[in-house]
Amino acid sequence: MALLAQQPTTAPPPGPPAPYRRRWRDRLNPQYITLAIAALAVAYLALVPVGTMLYSSLQSDFLGTTPSTWTLHNYVSTFTAPGIGSLIYNSFVYAAATSIFSTVVGFGLAWLVVRTNTPAKGFARIAALVPLILPGILNTVAWSLLLSPQRGQANLALHALHLPQFNVYSLAGMVFVQSMHVIPVAYLMGTASFTSMDSSLEEAALASGCSPARTFRTITLRIARPAILSAALLMFVQTISTFEVPQLIGVPARHFVFVSRIYSALQQFPADYGTVGVLGIFVLVVACIGLYSSQRLSRGSAVQTITGKGFRARAQDLGAWRWVGFAGFVVFFVVAVALPLLMLLWASFLPTYESPSMDALHHLSLTNYSQVIHRPGIVDAMKNSLITAFSAGLIVTVLSAVVAYLTVKTRIRGRGLLDGLATVPIAVPSVVMGVGILYWYLSAPLPFHLYGTLTILTIAFVTITLPYAMRYLVPGMQQIKDELEEAATASGANWPQAFRRIFIPLLMPSLLSAFVYTMIVAFREISAAIFLYTSDTEVVSVQVYDLYSSGNYPVVAALGVLIVLFLSLLALVVRLISRRFGIKNGS
Amino acid sequence: MIKLTGLVKRYPGRAVGANAVDGIDLEVGEGKLTTLLGPSGCGKTTTLRLIAGLERADAGTVEIGGQVVSDPARGIFIGPHRRPIGIVFQSYAIWPHMTVVENVMFPLKVSRPRPRKGEARKRALEALDAVGLADFAERPAPALSGGQQQRVALARALVREPKVLLLDEPLSNLDKGLRGRMRDEIRAVQQRLGITTVFVTHDQDEALAVSDDVVVMNGGHVVERGIPHAIYTYPRDMFTARFLGVSNSLDGVVESVGPEGATVSFGKRSMLCSQCEAIEAGQTVSVFMRPESFKLSRRQHSDEAWPGTIEFSIYHGDCWDYHVRLGDDLLKVRVYREKVGLEHGDLVFLEPDPDSAIVMPAATGMAATPAEVPATT
Ligand SMILES: Nc1ncnc2c1ncn2[C@@H]1O[C@H](COP(=O)(O)OP(=O)(O)OP(=O)(O)O)[C@@H](O)[C@H]1O
Ligand SMILES: [Mg+2]
Repeated sequence: MALLAQQPTTAPPPGPPAPYRRRWRDRLNPQYITLAIAALAVAYLALVPVGTMLYSSLQSDFLGTTPSTWTLHNYVSTFTAPGIGSLIYNSFVYAAATSIFSTVVGFGLAWLVVRTNTPAKGFARIAALVPLILPGILNTVAWSLLLSPQRGQANLALHALHLPQFNVYSLAGMVFVQSMHVIPVAYLMGTASFTSMDSSLEEAALASGCSPARTFRTITLRIARPAILSAALLMFVQTISTFEVPQLIGVPARHFVFVSRIYSALQQFPADYGTVGVLGIFVLVVACIGLYSSQRLSRGSAVQTITGKGFRARAQDLGAWRWVGFAGFVVFFVVAVALPLLMLLWASFLPTYESPSMDALHHLSLTNYSQVIHRPGIVDAMKNSLITAFSAGLIVTVLSAVVAYLTVKTRIRGRGLLDGLATVPIAVPSVVMGVGILYWYLSAPLPFHLYGTLTILTIAFVTITLPYAMRYLVPGMQQIKDELEEAATASGANWPQAFRRIFIPLLMPSLLSAFVYTMIVAFREISAAIFLYTSDTEVVSVQVYDLYSSGNYPVVAALGVLIVLFLSLLALVVRLISRRFGIKNGS
Repeated sequence: MIKLTGLVKRYPGRAVGANAVDGIDLEVGEGKLTTLLGPSGCGKTTTLRLIAGLERADAGTVEIGGQVVSDPARGIFIGPHRRPIGIVFQSYAIWPHMTVVENVMFPLKVSRPRPRKGEARKRALEALDAVGLADFAERPAPALSGGQQQRVALARALVREPKVLLLDEPLSNLDKGLRGRMRDEIRAVQQRLGITTVFVTHDQDEALAVSDDVVVMNGGHVVERGIPHAIYTYPRDMFTARFLGVSNSLDGVVESVGPEGATVSFGKRSMLCSQCEAIEAGQTVSVFMRPESFKLSRRQHSDEAWPGTIEFSIYHGDCWDYHVRLGDDLLKVRVYREKVGLEHGDLVFLEPDPDSAIVMPAATGMAATPAEVPATT
């Protein structure tokens, strides 16, 4: 197959065989050169931030004025500092509670949608798409507006109904808001797992005399268990490594976790680089363990769901219980979709916030929107976001296309390593990525200065989104049969020609989807950007955070609505492309 | 043992006229193996699932062992877990998280009253022994081949001694050689235990080989039923005839009926059909003939032989298939034991066999009542 592609450039030399020369020629094959360049780029992106982080944690005075030496002192002082116990405890409780809650709800919804006859499944399906268009920072802002004690809109409603209010500035509040953001991910994982499960496994139990409830426990849950655990670990990792909720809700609640501690250690003067390094490495290790276990579990479940022919995920008749499921859909839709979006929309039309009422209707105006457009900071931030998201999208798409080609379509040695490198960024929490990149460009003896430029943000976004783009391009590449390339080489095209003339056109839908999706991810990114921006290079997500911190809620709301509209548009483009060309992808 | 009356099932989202099962009446005799045979999509699986209770009927009743287990008109529905059934799915449905013996033990462990300790295991091992898998008891279930999984599924279905065994295309996932062996094994086990069995298949050879009784289905209806021999030799319905490989049919008029049989004429040609009860002279009929029922030769041996030319031929190793043109008609003829094949354009003579021709009145598509076809149970 692809062997053909490697050889046409090496015409068999006449005369006696020359093993050394031929091997060298092989090495100079364009595929090897591309592999080498791609591997260097990916390795640089993936390993440098982590390496710098590790280095900083082992230095006595990183970025300091005195000469720095190797030491374990940072680890000792960080892990003996007062409050470290409660920091670790808080972080784990927060992440574990979020993970359990969101996995239960997400898999519950997925089961109802895939395996039962609960009506109005559309509610759950729409809700699953929302996090794509509602960035975590806006989700957090919306919920703190809804659930702040006394003044939050939802709390006012609860009060009017004589129900106890819910103070979002608490551990429970953090768990709730973060869950709203990650439940859809759990839902999608649940959908995948329940769809691939042969329903005759359950039917066989029923026909053996096992009651439906017991079948659910001993068969359904048991077979889905690896997938459930895997999802839970993923939620855990995602929660422990993101910025928005710990900062916007955890800090006012005086409930500190790793991320908010890292942020405050960098904000204080003088910045405590050593502690940040140690905490970063700690989070990194936790994330790696979590993701590794998660992958092992899901690999196990993939093997288990393979069965013979005649296989169909059948909907189970819930009887009257399906109305309970229906109520679940509606509640979830209202809470996860309608409330935050309507909150933003409502607040965006009022110059000063007031509760919805007939009176308030008279005060509706577009003032906030005109402020968004006329405030120089916001316009600059939008421009910066667009530039960085666009360039990151472009770079990542090209890079991951090359990497995917080399790993899927060739038998070249070293491609496994390349594939591994490209997945490294998944395991690196965005916060660690942000700080690592910051440290590197502050400390490395480079001939150019990137700190304070949009380039450094673009580099961060490229690194973070690389695995996402790979998820579009690897399946896209696998769909293109090898014979197509072989036909091109057999027609006399060399490898670069075959790649450009055959692969790129066939791959266009995957490339476009990857590009737009990458842009979405980069556009709403904050966990890394918050460490990398300067006043000249603020991006939109950071701007939202800034405006919110300074209490300018109405403008935040208006900006939020615009962001949601923009992201919806991009998401729509991805969907249209995928539907038109029938691309499948994991996300 | 099993009695279905006026059974109707329509899947949600399907057109009103498109019932998956459209008014089936069927009785399955005690201890008999009955096959549901029909083309893909004709509602066999749905019927089986209705018997099992895995699907709820829209109308009609299901009775098992004299008890009504489903009757939507009276609001009766007994769930699958409370019906005395064992079922084997096309995909085997072996639980991947259990060992082989745990799979087989499961029906006993969930049964009430719960069997004594050790008893369940003993019976599971016996069941495994019966299907020849005693040595595999402690294996994890996924570490089995297709044929072995099939046996585990069978053992699991039989272990709690259900009144009814339901099999949905149990052999279709096996390769050819294994399929024949498993088929004979299933039949042997069924006869040894004398268990009432419903066997779904779309493979006529399979149906003929294992059944006491064949039920031919099409479009959600029962077309015809009978013992395998009768269904094969004297199908009474055009659909059955075609489905069972009777590929030649000629339309003609009955000229006369005599003690030898009826003489049917097709324009210039005519033939004698010995199976001709309730056929009258002057009636228009269709005559069905199997490809292998003709005598084909290069020379004319009798006056009845029909002259024709070879259109094309296909060599199968043990036989030749010839497509023979007779005027406007094209007949498929199968010839065994011929060393050298005929070629396109060769002149041949066909002699139809009076005994195996099937005569059906053209309008109804129902065969002339064959008195010699035994009534079904
Ligand atoms: N869950 C379902 N939802 C909607 N339609 C269905 C469902 N299951 C079956 N059908 C339809 O009902 C009809 C009968 O299906 P059934 O599975 O009973 O056919 P079958 O005879 O078993 O076919 P096969 O030999 O292919 O298994 C088909 O038209 C099929 O498409
Ligand atoms: Mg079927």
